[in-house]
Amino acid sequence: MKKDRQDSLTGSSASKQMERRKFLVKTGGMLAAGAFGAVPLRGWAADPINIGALYPTTGSMAQIGTGCVAAAKLAVEMVNETGGIKSLGGAKLNLIVSDVQSDTTVTRTETDRLITGNKLSAIHGCYASALTLIASEVAERARVPLITGSSSDQLNKGRTYTFTPFARASQFARTQLQMAKLVSEQAKIAVIFENTAFGTSTSNGLRELAASEGVEIVMFEPYSAGFTDASPLINKVKASGANTLFSISYLNDLILIVRTVKQVGLKVAINGGSGGFVMPDFYKNVGAPAEGLQGVAHWNHDVSDDAHKVNIEFKKRTGEFAFEYAGGLVAQTFMLADALERAASADPKKVREALSTLDVSSGYAAMAPGGKVKFGPDGKNVYGRPVGVQWQNGDLASVFPKEDARAPLIKT
Amino acid sequence: MLETVVQAVINGLLIGGIYALVSIGVTLIFGVVKIVNFAQGEFVMIGMYISFYLATQFGMDPIVSLVITMPVLFAAGVLIQHFLIRRVLGPNDMPQIFLTFALSLLLLNLALMLFTANYRTVHTFYSDEAFHIGELNIPVAKLIAFVVAMFLSGALWVFLHTTDLGKAMRAASQNRDVAMLMGINPNRVFCVALGIALALAGAAGSLLMPFYSAYPFVGQVFVLMAFVAVVLGTLGNVIGALVASLMMGVAESLGIQFVGADSGLIVVFAMLLLTLAFKPTGLGGGRAR
Repeated sequence: MKKDRQDSLTGSSASKQMERRKFLVKTGGMLAAGAFGAVPLRGWAADPINIGALYPTTGSMAQIGTGCVAAAKLAVEMVNETGGIKSLGGAKLNLIVSDVQSDTTVTRTETDRLITGNKLSAIHGCYASALTLIASEVAERARVPLITGSSSDQLNKGRTYTFTPFARASQFARTQLQMAKLVSEQAKIAVIFENTAFGTSTSNGLRELAASEGVEIVMFEPYSAGFTDASPLINKVKASGANTLFSISYLNDLILIVRTVKQVGLKVAINGGSGGFVMPDFYKNVGAPAEGLQGVAHWNHDVSDDAHKVNIEFKKRTGEFAFEYAGGLVAQTFMLADALERAASADPKKVREALSTLDVSSGYAAMAPGGKVKFGPDGKNVYGRPVGVQWQNGDLASVFPKEDARAPLIKT
Repeated sequence: MLETVVQAVINGLLIGGIYALVSIGVTLIFGVVKIVNFAQGEFVMIGMYISFYLATQFGMDPIVSLVITMPVLFAAGVLIQHFLIRRVLGPNDMPQIFLTFALSLLLLNLALMLFTANYRTVHTFYSDEAFHIGELNIPVAKLIAFVVAMFLSGALWVFLHTTDLGKAMRAASQNRDVAMLMGINPNRVFCVALGIALALAGAAGSLLMPFYSAYPFVGQVFVLMAFVAVVLGTLGNVIGALVASLMMGVAESLGIQFVGADSGLIVVFAMLLLTLAFKPTGLGGGRAR
């Protein structure tokens, strides 16, 4: 008993000694640093740099939003592991995630709250164009740069703090039409689209370009999103005599449409566009009938070796391949890191300046179809282009254009 | 042209069968208990998830899993009536509306928490198959769903017209106060009504599973149609709800075919407005049967 006490006493005096030594080291260091006047006033490491992430992690888009957040975290870890922002003393990126609940009103208040409540250097978000447009308005007013993979062309109009490193919605349409020509000499296309902003703008883009691409549109039909039965619509497609079907739809409608086409035994090539179609969940839900279906994406996991590496790590964490928005998000974080490095400041206005002069053609920041990123005055990547993809053996393969193709297009 | 019309009518009837199962439940609850169950769609959703998990975990066919979803939801209906709805049955409608609406929100968000917003699909060997008759095609899964839905509706009709309990339910729906004076135990009748209504919703869920994806918001798609069918077919009228559901399915399908794919619902609602304008009590003629 007594011996124990003795031990513990010596133990505590030993630790006291340690503390004293630590104290001396620290104060000594502080004094030395003070003498040179080089260390920032607060803390030992450089202040972390706050990056806001606005994604719908609850509500109808929760599933995709959660995937985006996983990618955002991965990207920040990747930047921090390689030493953070060196020009800012190795400052680490600090991700502040905010849930915009798949709702436009919430997006407005959450973006506002995120900006006023934190000292942010930049923001990225929000997956759905409808949400991103609102977040971008708020960010513009607060003068915080926002970088996004959302494809609405609206994001490039009258904005100075918004940057879009990937292909725009209007470019998607041309790629889809060109792919249709590859499948059939005389493409007769039926376009069905949900009657929302997303569906209407994308389909109008298709209609405007069809003539110049020499493709005939034989049916052009809006439908109400969230229907119970796709049979009447497919019945109509059948009657139109189309040999290619473009469906501009979110996931559930698209699953129903593809399954119904198979049930009816209709022989058409299907181009599912982007959005829900390029998600791992699409294949899981549709199964074998998804084989050979074509689509377009602003990013795909086979576009470069770097993308491949990101994909492997993302798969390890989530069990799914890195979908376009997730992969694009990792590239965006590296673009921000590049800008911060050159700005040597966490001030959002200086970060914006640095983003506007970004010019990369290698590394994670450049992993995009085309492999180069440089922003024009409208915040658009001047090299941005979409990649045509196809479901092959349960995986999404890049098949178009030739420079980006990693597998041959299978004609079904 | 004729084939297109016939095909559109077939498509409409097949989906109308599913609307019928949901709307019969809503109308039964309204007729007997005199409350509007805003959560009816969520019970379809629960039925779908039960079938989904039975299919993926135990390899049970979604149609066969009816024998589990229906009793489970029947029990849920009895419990909900006994422990929740019974307490708010009074002269004031507001608590009842809030109760079922709250139940709907609760179930929706519970589902989001437990199952996430992911779409869940079951593949059966008949999911993507269809009978081809000339140019017409009839998807197998939808045909099975329709036949079973009609069988269940028929069974309910027989139950309501031949058994004492069924007759008591009809009596309660025609005039609750007089029925009680005649010695009918209201809570027992209400419990059974809720049970049957929810069992039908569960059945709709199981029948949908081979050709539709389950997700937390799925019920809201069907419940909207159900409410229209219930009003169209006269509130509380089971046969009316059935007929109205089938009519709506066909109207929607023809609307999509000949007016426009975003006008299917417009045709349905136009039908509702016209009915309310010229026959305000609904097609069932104002009598609860």
